[in-house]
Amino acid sequence: MGLAIAATTAGAREGRNRLGRNRARAGVLLLLPAVLVVGGFIAVPIGQAIYYSMTNWNGITAQWVGPGTYLALFKNPIFLRVLENNGLLLLSVPVAIVVPLVIASLINEKVWGWKIFRSLIFLPTAISWVVIGIVAVRVFADPGAIDSILGTVGLGFLQRDFLSQPGTAILAVGLTFVWSMVGTNTIIFLTGMSTIDPAIYEAAAVDAAGRWSIFIRITIPLLKRYFQFSFVLTIITAFTALFSLIFIMTGGGPNYGTTTLEFFIYLEAFSVGNFGTGAMIGVVLLTILLGVSMVQLWLLRGEH
Amino acid sequence: MNAHDQSTRLLRRVGADTAGFDSPAPTPRLAKLARGLRADPARGAIFIFLVAVTFVMLYPFYFMVKNSFMSSQQYIAGHGFSTASWSQLFSALPVFRELGNSTLIAGSAILIILFCSTTAGFTFAKLAFRGRSVLFLGVIGCMMIPVQSIIIPEYVNLSHFGLINTYTSAILVYGALGTPFATFLMTAYFRGLPDEVIEAALCDGLTYGRTYWRIALPLAKPALVTVIVLQFIQIWDDLLVGLLFLQEPANRTITVGLAALSSGRVVSIPILMAGAIVSALPAIAVYIVFQRYLIAGMTLGINR
Repeated sequence: MGLAIAATTAGAREGRNRLGRNRARAGVLLLLPAVLVVGGFIAVPIGQAIYYSMTNWNGITAQWVGPGTYLALFKNPIFLRVLENNGLLLLSVPVAIVVPLVIASLINEKVWGWKIFRSLIFLPTAISWVVIGIVAVRVFADPGAIDSILGTVGLGFLQRDFLSQPGTAILAVGLTFVWSMVGTNTIIFLTGMSTIDPAIYEAAAVDAAGRWSIFIRITIPLLKRYFQFSFVLTIITAFTALFSLIFIMTGGGPNYGTTTLEFFIYLEAFSVGNFGTGAMIGVVLLTILLGVSMVQLWLLRGEH
Repeated sequence: MNAHDQSTRLLRRVGADTAGFDSPAPTPRLAKLARGLRADPARGAIFIFLVAVTFVMLYPFYFMVKNSFMSSQQYIAGHGFSTASWSQLFSALPVFRELGNSTLIAGSAILIILFCSTTAGFTFAKLAFRGRSVLFLGVIGCMMIPVQSIIIPEYVNLSHFGLINTYTSAILVYGALGTPFATFLMTAYFRGLPDEVIEAALCDGLTYGRTYWRIALPLAKPALVTVIVLQFIQIWDDLLVGLLFLQEPANRTITVGLAALSSGRVVSIPILMAGAIVSALPAIAVYIVFQRYLIAGMTLGINR
């Protein structure tokens, strides 16, 4: 322990350099596994994706075309349709945040059994999109759970096979997506609410503030970070995690009505064989996600 | 006295904060306040509302269990009880083989993830050397790359090495995909360990490698469990990677097998539901046992 103190200044400097060199060498060795794995299986492929996105590629041979491929893509009506589907799914993001916010604030009232409610509402987070999709198909089919609810409340004329029409099919996918985000976002908001100092609420109670005004003026502003987090997480999920759900529920149909960017990549590459186009859509998807992250960073910076 | 005891004691003495892994502090005062509001009839309404929400969230489980205990004819008729579908499940879906495949692939990938993320996390948190922050941004930045953007080059690369339809391909891809977030999580955790612990070990003559292995790693158990739980559920529930890299029926994971069964031409819904339950049970079991770690890992990103 007293080694450094006893050493002369020059000796200490030399020792420090040697220590620094040792540390750098150890650091490089310890980083090697992660860098190799992430570099070889993520960084290199993303570089390849960018290169091949500007080629005519079938997986074996590739002819260089140039950045013009992107212009052609944005003129492709199917691609525009796919973008529109992604846009429609984004419309469900606010719902996927407000509903869990309401649930979380009610659980946070700590009525009898609130811990059990919390666990059970979060439980579907553990099951796969495949399982969710398999059940969702039967919920939205005709006859299915939704149809029988519509019949019971006297809206029988709305009964239909929701997955057979593009408009209602994307609605069904969106509703299933919202349902599956409820657990995660509820837990995020509950975590946020547990960090709020109870003294703040006590002070508000002393001021005879109503429950609603406490919620709007105290809880919501204090949850800002948690809103941001769940917002970004929900958007990223909408863009990148629905492949299995769409695969099981609709296969992207009917007539591309539920094909999103991530599903279009799969269809183009592995059904049609256009590996280059698939790679290009992948680059577009990545660009959108980077944009979302930039906005998030910018928002966080504004805070400091 | 070995180095581990020494470091644990030191850690306790400095009251180390290990990156929010402890459950949020209980708020007895808030609970008391809430109990004080009990005269409020709204609490009854909240309870009933939460029961309804819980029912909606658990509906898929109810649907799966109810319909798995029917024969195909009973399912069409809408009532009845039979265990026929459960006994037919094992011929429709090679359940044990696929559960074994899932376990093998998830287990091996998790080992890769743990090795890469702990070595890298330890280095990023505790070994300062030039170029470290660039590498850190590089590895962590790969968190943002969605699997769909790299899946096509990945597929072509691995088929060059003849690895498509082998466990190895899926293990490597899952391992790489899980490493960036796990590294982020481990870095955050190791940053919470006091530098004194590491310095004490180095002064005792341990090399950096041994300090990582004998001191840092044993102290990181909560973070290791979090990584294991998150990755297990993620890999177990994934479809896309398995669908592309494990096309031989004998190699399929349970989630891929279930998706294949679901998209088959002749499918008995009750058998499908029984299969869905079997595929979901391991992830649910992990969820129930390790819920706390799952939430800790999920919400870690908030305080970035």
